[in-house]
Amino acid sequence: MISNRFGSYFVRSAVAVLVALGARSAVAQDARLTLIRDDATRDVVRQVLGAAIARGMPSDPLMSKALEGVAKKATPKRIREAMNALEGRMRRANELLAPTRSVDEMAAGADALYAGVPEKTLKLMRAAAPNRPIAMELGVLTEMVANGVPPKQASKMLLDLMAHGATGAQLTALGSAVQGDVAAGLKPDVALDLRGRGVMSLLPPPPSVNSLNPRGRP
Amino acid sequence: MYGWLARWWWRNTLQRGNLREKPHLRRVHVSDIDPAVPIRAKGGDEHAFLEIVEFYYPRCLRFARNMLGNDQDAEEAVQDAFVRVHDSFPRFREDARFDPWLFRILANRCRTLMARSRRHHALIEYGDLPLSASAPEEDFGADWAEEVRMVLESLPPEQKEAFLLRHVEDLSYEDIAAVTGVGLSALRMRVKRACDTLRVRLAGVEQNDR
Amino acid sequence: MIGEERDELIEQVAQVFAPLPRVNARATAQIMAAVRARAALRPSRLRLLLGSLREPSISMAAAGVLAAAALVIGFFTGDRVGVIDSTPAPVQVASNSVVAPLQHVDNSPDARMSNAVPVSIVFEARNAKSVTIVGDFNNWDETTSPLRRFGADGPWTVTVRATPGRHVYAFLVDGTTLVADPRAPRARDLDYGGDASVLMVTAP
Repeated sequence: MISNRFGSYFVRSAVAVLVALGARSAVAQDARLTLIRDDATRDVVRQVLGAAIARGMPSDPLMSKALEGVAKKATPKRIREAMNALEGRMRRANELLAPTRSVDEMAAGADALYAGVPEKTLKLMRAAAPNRPIAMELGVLTEMVANGVPPKQASKMLLDLMAHGATGAQLTALGSAVQGDVAAGLKPDVALDLRGRGVMSLLPPPPSVNSLNPRGRP
Repeated sequence: MYGWLARWWWRNTLQRGNLREKPHLRRVHVSDIDPAVPIRAKGGDEHAFLEIVEFYYPRCLRFARNMLGNDQDAEEAVQDAFVRVHDSFPRFREDARFDPWLFRILANRCRTLMARSRRHHALIEYGDLPLSASAPEEDFGADWAEEVRMVLESLPPEQKEAFLLRHVEDLSYEDIAAVTGVGLSALRMRVKRACDTLRVRLAGVEQNDR
Repeated sequence: MIGEERDELIEQVAQVFAPLPRVNARATAQIMAAVRARAALRPSRLRLLLGSLREPSISMAAAGVLAAAALVIGFFTGDRVGVIDSTPAPVQVASNSVVAPLQHVDNSPDARMSNAVPVSIVFEARNAKSVTIVGDFNNWDETTSPLRRFGADGPWTVTVRATPGRHVYAFLVDGTTLVADPRAPRARDLDYGGDASVLMVTAP
């Protein structure tokens, strides 16, 4: 019992130390840090990034967020807050999008949560597409919600379209059309309803209809 | 309104230059790719696949543009077709000719996109308008060509497909049968009907213009 | 055979449709990128088998090495182990909150960029002396993607590579001013504020 606890303690300590050392070295070697000219900002980014990598987070989206702050002349404090907030969202997105994970999906899921997409939607989207990347679908949904479409309505439409086999190009075109309609003055929910039904009509009927009516006759 | 002038310009500039004074250009036969290349591509040779894409892309894009009348859809069809070719290579028989096999996949994609496009245009009331691509210096020639395109566009899709495969892509009826899965006599009939319609409609255009 | 059915008019009609279109290198590149991406997404049975065999053997070997390392490092550092100064000790977060290993997804930069699609962007800025594009697809690095101008007074253009999905970007004009793309949807940024635009990229 005691020896088990002893061994477990050392193994966990060792994991932590090696991960920490590895993270520090990974951050130190990241050439993108040299893009940050301000010393204080660079130190903040190095710290936040090192800690995040040690926790198993991918560095790219966090570094990108940091450099976006640099490009927008944000203060080191603001950059730290933004990176920490993004890490939190990515962590949540990662849980919701399990078991298949990619960096692009984590970042897209984080953006979707940030825009107000319900957490449940991410789970359902993963269930609808367990074996393929859905970063693009998440992006379309994020944009729709950002354009003012009610999150639940946008989620339902997107999930319906995914279930009917809508292609990435169709979903992107839908997002653009809704965005154009909203810019032209149409109410976002009406725009999505109109455009969504248009795309839906292009898709084959769901399998249950075919099986009930195999010859395709009315 | 400038149709007669366009027709005259077309015949006496482009056509005289291209067809009458240069008979060797009248029938430009595009040969098949070296049969060893698809076999190498089937075996997973990426360079061979790239060679196929580079060799056939222009012809495929021409066919898709003529079928779909829209650059964006045509690009989509061709790119999708090549990806499907890549995925379907395990089913490609090494003793078969590659051209009809490729065009069969491409024609299928075009048919799918045509169906989608028809339903799309029927449903969407307003929105994206197609970009016009005619250059000012080509106005007269473009007028005549536009007339021809409109007539071809009005043909039933299967006639248009058969006409383009036969007279533009230069495939034999046997190859077209392999592409479309339609019997030889039916194909001959489709091409004949397409030609008849073109003759009548374009002759009508000429008479009206005069 | 053709001569019988192909009179002068049909010949002329065929010539309307005969010119071969120009093909840009981007189209070929897109196909090859798509094909490589599909190959990468389709792990072979052998790889899957090797993957499943490899996992436990690594963890068992690692346990021994790590235990030894712990003894050595723990001897010198005691309980005060930190990743980086002023951040919490990783032990506190390194158990169940550690992100699980990414499964069956190659997240290396090379693999991710193999899915990337070239996207051309045009920007009008008549009085600008230089324009670069910055966005999440180039890490907001102002040095990687300068725009080129067509003619003395023409639009600025650039082709960037971005993975399928939603991206945020802006133009840096004359090295000082960040400007959103007037032709693209606006991106709302609650973190930093400021103008940026949205680019949606579709898989080829």
